[in-house]
Amino acid sequence: MKKIQTKGVKISSNKDYRDSIVDILKKMLQSKSVDAVLVPMRVPAKDSYAWILVKDEKLLTEADPAAPIMPIQGARALSSFSRKGQSMLKIAALMRPCEIRATIELSKLNQVNLENVTLISYDCPGALPMEDYLNDPEKGEKKFNDILKKLDFQNKSIKPVCKICDQFSLLPVSDLHFTLFHDQNNTMFLIANSNRGNLVLKEIGMEASHTVSAWANGIQEIKDKRAAQKKGRFTQIKKMVEGFNSLLATFSDCIGCHNCQSACPICYCRQCYFDSESVTSGTDLTMLKAKKRGSISLPQNRIMFQVGRMSHMSLSCVSCGLCTDACPVSIPVAEIFSYVAHNTQKQFSYSSGENKGEPIPLKTFKLEEVKGIQELVEDAEA
Amino acid sequence: MDQVLTIKKSTEAGLIDLLTYLLKNKKVSGVCSLRKTKKQGKFDYALITDPELLHDVVPLHPLMPVNAGKMLSNMIKMEMPVAAVIKPCELRSFIELVKRSQGKLENFLLISYTCGGALPLTATVENKVDTMLPDYGKTVAAGNEFEHIREICKACEYFVPFNADATVSLLGETGADSTCKIFLHSDKAKEILQGFEVEKTEDEFDRTGYDQIRERRKKYKEELFKQIKIQDTGLDGMIDVFGRCIGCHACSRVCPICYCVLCDFESSTYDYDNTIMEQELSRKGGLRLPSDTILYQIGRLSHMSFSCIGCGQCTEVCPSDIPVSVIFRKCGEKVAEIFEYIPGRDVNEQVPVTIFKEEEFEEIGEE
Amino acid sequence: MTSDFTPKIVSFLCKWCTYSGADLAGTSRMKYPPSILPIRVMCSSRVNPVFLVKSFFHGADGVLIGGCHPGDCHYQSGNYHTRRRFIILSKIFECLGLESERLKLAWISAAEGARFVKVTTEFTQKIKNMGENPAKRKIFI
Repeated sequence: MKKIQTKGVKISSNKDYRDSIVDILKKMLQSKSVDAVLVPMRVPAKDSYAWILVKDEKLLTEADPAAPIMPIQGARALSSFSRKGQSMLKIAALMRPCEIRATIELSKLNQVNLENVTLISYDCPGALPMEDYLNDPEKGEKKFNDILKKLDFQNKSIKPVCKICDQFSLLPVSDLHFTLFHDQNNTMFLIANSNRGNLVLKEIGMEASHTVSAWANGIQEIKDKRAAQKKGRFTQIKKMVEGFNSLLATFSDCIGCHNCQSACPICYCRQCYFDSESVTSGTDLTMLKAKKRGSISLPQNRIMFQVGRMSHMSLSCVSCGLCTDACPVSIPVAEIFSYVAHNTQKQFSYSSGENKGEPIPLKTFKLEEVKGIQELVEDAEA
Repeated sequence: MDQVLTIKKSTEAGLIDLLTYLLKNKKVSGVCSLRKTKKQGKFDYALITDPELLHDVVPLHPLMPVNAGKMLSNMIKMEMPVAAVIKPCELRSFIELVKRSQGKLENFLLISYTCGGALPLTATVENKVDTMLPDYGKTVAAGNEFEHIREICKACEYFVPFNADATVSLLGETGADSTCKIFLHSDKAKEILQGFEVEKTEDEFDRTGYDQIRERRKKYKEELFKQIKIQDTGLDGMIDVFGRCIGCHACSRVCPICYCVLCDFESSTYDYDNTIMEQELSRKGGLRLPSDTILYQIGRLSHMSFSCIGCGQCTEVCPSDIPVSVIFRKCGEKVAEIFEYIPGRDVNEQVPVTIFKEEEFEEIGEE
Repeated sequence: MTSDFTPKIVSFLCKWCTYSGADLAGTSRMKYPPSILPIRVMCSSRVNPVFLVKSFFHGADGVLIGGCHPGDCHYQSGNYHTRRRFIILSKIFECLGLESERLKLAWISAAEGARFVKVTTEFTQKIKNMGENPAKRKIFI
């Protein structure tokens, strides 16, 4: 069990959190502690955000460390750069906790090389649903600024899957962490959580000397509230999907577009298994099935894709919610997958993205571990 | 000369009678049509072999959960044809796929209709279809534009099907509520429906009768194209429009013309070594990740835009609400014009990039 | 707007004709601009239109495809396909307002060293007048 951090660097309270964070990132570049920083930046049309790997510190002034929306998963952005092996550049990635957890899962799947990568997290109040933001970006900006200003980590406007997230703060795998949540006057802390993190602090000439226990207590309070909300929401989700009829009804709008899979950071397969010939039947089978049952729905295998995708990636699901954002027919994919993932991960006492060294349960086994099926069913949390 | 079937029922009921006849008398091995699902207000496409299950079909509903042309292309081996009721744009996309060896015309009895436009996906999601339908029916029967159809549909001038074996008259058909009129064009259709005992007359299907609607649609198209100002705003304009693209490739996935199992832009060709990305980073000072956002769009335009039939599925599924279908139709039309090509018009009209004339465009390359 | 920069013009030259024509220009001591960055391809039809887009987005100020005259293609019909693909891509660039004049297709045979010099010199000057490719500095591309 990792030692709980009790000290952090106190950061000036006069500036906006964005400016404070950008200042620290600039210091990292200047001191050559890192060669480039991966941060979100508002696009020129001001209607969305993109991930930009920044080398020139002048560009950093445009960075928005905590963007109101999450159009692209940070893990996917990082993976597109460091998939093919260790980069010669030292990179710091400033991402939401769920994006960092997804990064860890991807590194276990050889899709991200984490040598020379410093992972920086921050207290995430949640993200706004993409649809709401796109309808009125300026309003979205205001809403999110308000949330941060008021430290409203229980705001109604955030994504449903964010409302039940209890891993929104410092992670065991974070190298560094910015405390956006704080219960004193605008005091933000920078916490080093690993050897790498400590090294970076040293290189930028900072020392963790302030106690952060007040912050830690505040965070724990919110975590407890979120955990209770999760339990309640999962009871509702269970009703939505339990039993074949409920499952079909919940996914009745699905058109098989596979947006959920494209947006998901864990689903990295170039050709999804469910698009391969193993699954897509030739016409002779299609006709055969139609004749046997009297009719079949087209396109085929839509529910199979959903359940199949669950079986493939639920062990690594970090409940980031990009799937729901991407779904054109507003199916609450994220909450459903989060519920299923919670239960499948529980079977192996596995928490996705928590521990770099812990292999994904499907990739390993213990000689004695199979439970009776009845126990498994009873265990599925209500 | 076309054979006209007149059935003294509502157009939908009459069509269902025809489909029932085909299936009951084993003239076709199945019927492909939209139908109601078990959940109220939800619909999908189905392949039906049991005539008893035909009571649930809604073949003329203005819905497009998926582009049917794409689905028909997956049906290759057939002993007997399947009767498919699809929209004119879906039919055009199927023809485009047949040209690319991605489908077989012989496998189908293609029934289409004069189309008043499709509703967006949100209509089904928000359970509004049943409430919208009566108004939709009345508006379309009067030959007017229903305000809630897809924007790209309001700009569609090809609402009269090309290449259908049979066309159901819907648009501007004032008696659609009580009389069903179906025009049989092909010998295949006339033969298969020989035993179908309804009033049969000879008449020519008048395409010119829709000129007024066509003009209205063309006008709207010009307006819609003008709204996307990319022609004048250059690269910055492109970045404005496509800046929020997340590279999910949903547009390509639902596009009927994009049939490639592994899209070129998802292949390892675009999986760069670190050194290349590091070079770009050094040069620009900042690098967007994942890369090739705009490149993908232009690449896809160069691959298929001239075959774009304007169904609008791409816009419907885009998570960033980018008006993909308008841009693709606009560019596609300009490119197709050069070769006097209209996608889906004629199965013998080959795709412009697959052929050439030895003597054409003689000025290019010689200056 | 004339600038004093040396444009970078990525040039895909077909081995049988244009590349040989460029060689001939060289051996005949004819000077052509240093802006040309030659890439030898077996046939102009090897050029995927996306190569042009990629070059353009990675900062090339101009892109040139050089091939055999129609009717003289070493592989019979390659350059006819090139011609159509080039027209399509140019049109798309035009529709999107992306300076389609930065793309050029030229038929230059192995014997036309002088023509190679003429085409490349004129194209280089044209690009110079147009200025640097704005895509060079775009990060959100």
